[in-house]
Amino acid sequence: MLLVPSSTSRICCVVAKNHSKLFLKPTRRLSTPSGSGHEECDVVIVGGGPAGLALASALGSSQVVRENLRVALVEGGDLSKLRDWSPKSGAFSNRVSSLTNASQAFLQGVGAWDFVDAERTAPIEEMQVWDGISDARINFVAEDLGLTSEDGMARLTENFNLQRALLRHLNTFPQVELIDKTRVQTIVRDADDRGGWPLVQLDNGRTLRTRLLVGADGFNSPVRSYAQIPSFGWSYDTQAIVATLIHEPRGAFQSPNTTAYQRFLPTGPIAFLPLSATSSSLVWSTKPGLASALLASDPSVLAGLINAAFRLPEISLRYLHNRILQGHASGQVLTPAEIREEIFWREQSHSIDAHSAYSSSHAVAAIDAQGEQADAIEGKRFNNAGIPPEDAELFPPLVTSLLPGTVASFPLRFNHTETYIGEGSGSRTVLVGDAAHTVHPLAGQGLNLGLADVECLAKCIENALQQGGDIGSYTALMPYAQERYLKNHTVMSAIDKLHKIYTSTAEPVVWARSVGVEVLNELDTVKAALMLTAGAKQNQYNRNGASGEQQRPDAAMWEAAAKGVESVVAANNTVKVLGRGLAGMVGMGLYNLLKESGYAPPSTPSATSTNDRHANGSSNDSNGSVPPDSTQPRK
Amino acid sequence: MSLRRLYSTVNNAEIAHFSKLSAHWWDEHGEFAFLHKMNPARVQFIQQKLKEIHHDDHPGTPAPSNSLKGLDALDIGCGGGLLSESLARLGANTLGIDASESNISIASHHASHDPKLSRSLEYQHTTSESLLDHPKRYDIVCSMEVLEHVNNPALFLDTCAQLVKPGGHLFLSTIARTPLSDFLTIFLAEHVLRKVTVGTHTHSKFINSTELVSFFQKYPRSKPKTESGSSSGELSTSPSDTDTVPWISPHSPANEPMRTQAEIRGLIYNPLQANWYLAPRGAWAAAECNYLFWVRKPLV
Repeated sequence: MLLVPSSTSRICCVVAKNHSKLFLKPTRRLSTPSGSGHEECDVVIVGGGPAGLALASALGSSQVVRENLRVALVEGGDLSKLRDWSPKSGAFSNRVSSLTNASQAFLQGVGAWDFVDAERTAPIEEMQVWDGISDARINFVAEDLGLTSEDGMARLTENFNLQRALLRHLNTFPQVELIDKTRVQTIVRDADDRGGWPLVQLDNGRTLRTRLLVGADGFNSPVRSYAQIPSFGWSYDTQAIVATLIHEPRGAFQSPNTTAYQRFLPTGPIAFLPLSATSSSLVWSTKPGLASALLASDPSVLAGLINAAFRLPEISLRYLHNRILQGHASGQVLTPAEIREEIFWREQSHSIDAHSAYSSSHAVAAIDAQGEQADAIEGKRFNNAGIPPEDAELFPPLVTSLLPGTVASFPLRFNHTETYIGEGSGSRTVLVGDAAHTVHPLAGQGLNLGLADVECLAKCIENALQQGGDIGSYTALMPYAQERYLKNHTVMSAIDKLHKIYTSTAEPVVWARSVGVEVLNELDTVKAALMLTAGAKQNQYNRNGASGEQQRPDAAMWEAAAKGVESVVAANNTVKVLGRGLAGMVGMGLYNLLKESGYAPPSTPSATSTNDRHANGSSNDSNGSVPPDSTQPRK
Repeated sequence: MSLRRLYSTVNNAEIAHFSKLSAHWWDEHGEFAFLHKMNPARVQFIQQKLKEIHHDDHPGTPAPSNSLKGLDALDIGCGGGLLSESLARLGANTLGIDASESNISIASHHASHDPKLSRSLEYQHTTSESLLDHPKRYDIVCSMEVLEHVNNPALFLDTCAQLVKPGGHLFLSTIARTPLSDFLTIFLAEHVLRKVTVGTHTHSKFINSTELVSFFQKYPRSKPKTESGSSSGELSTSPSDTDTVPWISPHSPANEPMRTQAEIRGLIYNPLQANWYLAPRGAWAAAECNYLFWVRKPLV
């Protein structure tokens, strides 16, 4: 596909003397491979993940881009497999993303959202987030944020569903060339006297000379290496376990499965994300040792431990995890019966009644009976029939099994490049998505940041094009970096700090958390973070917006969130003296910031709807002996 | 005749100055960073005016999405070709000329990297006066940040004006001769920030927008030719023998010419975003420093 017509040079003006070099020579057929061995492109996107495909989609949907630019996307994998992805209904992939309303609005604007199979997506209408040590909890619902429950705060979507939609959308734009099953062999710089444009050499023998090279090629980005853009970051010493969870539907007296749950354990957060009435997605971030022990366990053991991880007091979880680790180390892996017994015993020691919402051992019994035959459970309701136990909605539905083949894990890291635009010998390059930044998944922001990058870059390219700019030039790309870099960095820092404060074992932090003094504060911060996960409705963020440009309050919000966490850290040394007064003060400050951004719910700044109930018991928790009163059923 | 034309407005010292800097034209972080950033605003202004005039001339018909497509454009004093490339990319058949040979070779070399430009862009090392010897006239004549560097502004404006087709457009950008411009463009940019090489600008050669307006209020003049140019600053109208309708109505106020005849728009630099913006139409004091000027040649 050659979109650049061969340039039969048109010598228009007459004055012959002092003709420049360029026009004395007959012009080469620059666009054909035969002449110089390469094809001319305007944009080459490396990477066919969600970010790369979304960029191709956004560019394809722009008329001015279609008419003026030759866009190609290079992907090593087989995109036709993704295009023809046809999973069984109810069998969900383990790679899901919660797409904020802003991300959805972008995809709708581009026209790609229509191709998403809505049946396979689920709105998050409510979130329950709580501290693993103090059990202080916040919950908020879509209505609090001025959103309808139909919109939800975000929409869980399988990555395959999104990628398939983008590919189907791209089918309508044959101008965008998709080169799949093809790897980038090397990227070299064209000769200086030819402008030093990037030459992308593919393993099928083709070479693309491109005006702009976009790295949407993930954490180990070859484009980034070519551009010599340094990045900084660290590994979290944390592994994220993902799986598709199978569970009973919620009972007749309960709300549907549209609530996301996240518990911040000292080893990392565990999250339950609803996909359908009977399926949900797990993201359990934990220490690598424990992760590999969990992955090596029997699936029903893992299911039992997932249920327990949302319910049991932290002290008992630590005990259970040690048992798993020991078993793993000694080669004597715990059987489902053993783990059920352990959980049952821990529940008894905490005086948790078998019928209470805090109990999960009976579910393990059911798993034990059923093995992996999730489908066979149909009709055998052990938890949800009739009147549910009090507080049932404080916890996710009990997991009965894991969808076979969906348990996987990956290491977590923080990474941010020093810049998004290549300069000097790496000029005409730009990075988007994971190639530019990787972030802890606890706030579900990774893909959303990538899509925001893509939206901004596509707009930037379109603007430059309309002004006759060279879209590969620094001048043309600068607005992209200006708009995205700090916003991303703010969000990433806030998420990073959240992770650190919740996994901290530093004595003052743990002390503060265990007595619940700082909890208000921290939870306000979490709340701010999660509100952003939710995002606002399109029309909401024009509230303080200037004319024309849409004003996203995201960055301001994350700044508020980050400040909140910083205050916690800074306050740790003084918090013992100042006590609640300080916590309230900082919390109030954050609340005011939220209010200014138009985000704060109309309720009081006290985020902890159930905190009062937990506060008295939690102080004992750090001693590790007495289970908190609050976990006792109140029947 | 041709010798007179070749050297009448070109200032040799200025040409030597820019020739020395020519290698830096395409360094987006270097000497000409300001111009790189200014370029989108210039193009924006050109497009806005063309669209607006299209709307006036053909009421009811939708303006083409790209108002420059197919037009003949001339960029006088093209330097490294920053504006010429943009005009060519937008589909104008563009000729960029410059009195500095090294500028032209840099511009040609740079354009040769870009396969999109070879069809619509051409460069010549020549002067605007020499082009008058040829019959070709242009829909758009641009001369950006040049006026303040020429020897005889009145003669230069006359030449530019003669190269415009009837009904065509002349776009200029330059710097007003005000205390503000002295402070910003010379004291700050050249001496304090050192963003621009010292000696690039001479304050006395700056030209105010009102002077441009009053020039075109009396242009063209039907009185006999005067060979000598006036001194800088004071613009006297140079002759042209073809037509006599003034480009700007003589009675319109010099700071606010008729919208259909001429327009002055300020260019504002935002140091926080390191970018140039087109000042809103009629913004107060916007043309006190860098500004864009548009004037249209009458159709008759």
